[in-house]
Amino acid sequence: MTIQKIDGTTFGQMILVSAEHLSNHREMIDSLNVFPVPDGDTGTNMNLTLTSGANEVEQVDHKHVGQIGEVLAKGLLMGARGNSGVILSQLFRGFSKAIRDKETLTTKNFAEALQAGVETAYKAVMKPVEGTILTVAKDAANAAVEKAEEVDDHIEFMEHVLTEAKASLQRTPELLPVLKEVGVVDSGGQGLVTVYEGFLSVLKGEALPTYANKVNVEQMINAEHHKMHQDFMNTEDIEFGYCTEFMIKLERDKEHPFKEEDFRNRLGNQGDSLLVVADDDLVKVHIHAEYPGEVLTYAQNYGSLVNVKIENMREQHTSIVGDAKKEEKVVMAEYAIVTVALGSGIKEMFESLGANVVIEGGQTMNPSTQDIANAIQKANAKRILVLPNNKNIVMAAEQAADLVEGEVAVVPTKSIPQGMSAMLAFHPDRSLEDNHKEMVAASEEVKTGQVTYAVRDTQIDGLEIAKGNFMGIADGKITSTSKNKLEAITQLLQGMIEEDEDEIVTILTGEDATDEEVSEIEQYMEEHFEDMEIEVHNGNQPIYSYIFAIE
Amino acid sequence: MSINLQNEYGEVTISNDVISTIAGGTAVECYGIVGMASKKQLRDGIAEMLRKENIAKGIVVRQEENELHIDMYIIVSYGTKISEVALNVQNQVKYTLSKMLGLSVESVNIFIQGVQVTQKA
Repeated sequence: MTIQKIDGTTFGQMILVSAEHLSNHREMIDSLNVFPVPDGDTGTNMNLTLTSGANEVEQVDHKHVGQIGEVLAKGLLMGARGNSGVILSQLFRGFSKAIRDKETLTTKNFAEALQAGVETAYKAVMKPVEGTILTVAKDAANAAVEKAEEVDDHIEFMEHVLTEAKASLQRTPELLPVLKEVGVVDSGGQGLVTVYEGFLSVLKGEALPTYANKVNVEQMINAEHHKMHQDFMNTEDIEFGYCTEFMIKLERDKEHPFKEEDFRNRLGNQGDSLLVVADDDLVKVHIHAEYPGEVLTYAQNYGSLVNVKIENMREQHTSIVGDAKKEEKVVMAEYAIVTVALGSGIKEMFESLGANVVIEGGQTMNPSTQDIANAIQKANAKRILVLPNNKNIVMAAEQAADLVEGEVAVVPTKSIPQGMSAMLAFHPDRSLEDNHKEMVAASEEVKTGQVTYAVRDTQIDGLEIAKGNFMGIADGKITSTSKNKLEAITQLLQGMIEEDEDEIVTILTGEDATDEEVSEIEQYMEEHFEDMEIEVHNGNQPIYSYIFAIE
Repeated sequence: MSINLQNEYGEVTISNDVISTIAGGTAVECYGIVGMASKKQLRDGIAEMLRKENIAKGIVVRQEENELHIDMYIIVSYGTKISEVALNVQNQVKYTLSKMLGLSVESVNIFIQGVQVTQKA
């Protein structure tokens, strides 16, 4: 049998069945929930969300698939519960938008709709965490788009989508460390797979697979185990010292027939973290008990024991705590940043931004090539970025980079603001080349204004400058001069700020700056550039009364 | 402002910056949040000045007597259930702070400052 087109009735059916399927597996999905908050409600939330959508769908009798989609999206939005529920509602919001005008769906339509859902869902998060339901949805949609090129049959198509979704789900622990640590797959992703399973079963006209419970027993136990133990505790606080796991092969002819609830109650007195998962002929038990022997003896009443594992948790805990203490060794850092700065405030600022070595120096006090080379060695890192922050030091920095061994790159920053801007673009996860590129780009984004005084009479760039006059320097070029400091400043700022483009002026005050001056500058800014934001930092640099960073 | 914890070896001081950074870091990973809104008077120093994505902006940590309160100013995505997104942020922030710092937060107040509409052509 093949299905070429999905109409409203079929789609509605797919939703209803998958809602029911999700409901059946709610508890299993709950148990996998360790991220973002291990509160074990993902399955419940997704179920409530999808049920709300399904209820809306159930009330209408449309043949038009677009209309069903619309009703569904509305129902999901209203019923969205929890993180995963909100994401699910977004996935179907995008989905339903994409199919709004469609009477029926081809595989291509369906794939495009899945893709649109993923796009919508990703838009609603600043920093998507991969290894979650989002990833599973994305991988499944990508697979869908590819497969739709090949096949028109919805059954074959959906089978492929489901297979890929499952594969993606299995990869989630690789992407999200907390999942790997606990040894589970992502609960939201599992929920989505369950929905897709519901879809497929309707298309095939088959009963739903009962796969999940058995496959995931191991994971459930890991997750439960983790939840009990994620909090810090002292070794002495462990009340029940033995983590005990075993399985009972039930034997029918035993005196006492196995009753899960009685069994659970009885073991509950023996310890905590109890988990009992039973089917017709096998029971898996996990318990933290102080006297594991008693637990085993009791369990033997019901059958023979297999896969017995008992661990002393006090010993384990002590050794974990011990290991953590051992791991302090001096190793070569991955990355270091060496920079040049003058002024205690600026130095501090660079350090707080993450510079490892700050060489004192700058205008009229240039560090030598050797100084820089020494600093690079002192930084002791595999990869090192050097920010000279002055155009007269760029050359020396480049020579120093050649001198020393190892991977060293110079970001040719010509001013303090450029240097700070570059620092902020640094990312420890990126390669040296990429960092260099990004940092150069960032340094070019910022405009630098400086104010200082003339030490002699001179004429530069068509400006007459008398000794003792104040000069405003915009990106290395003298643009204003005046006997009055404030006037030099205001002229400089006026020439530099472009109101449409710039948003922020950062002021680094020099050694000789006074509070009165600063407030005068702030007042001037407020009067003339009311939309600009101003931030003042104490740079404490000599020579330059003020350094302005304008972006 | 900072928070002091006493243990057998001495004292641990956690500054409010740490708390707001953790809260912010958690918030941006929350689903449905597309931005943090900074209130002008809350501007958060040089990082924001230089357009670094500063996750702590838009977060105020208040200490009243011995209780810790956090206010967060966020922008959510259009088409999400806003109450639910806010609830998730509250849960997640509370959980993360207790896990990472062992701090119990009295309240996490969410102020929805904007809704971002992304219209697809």
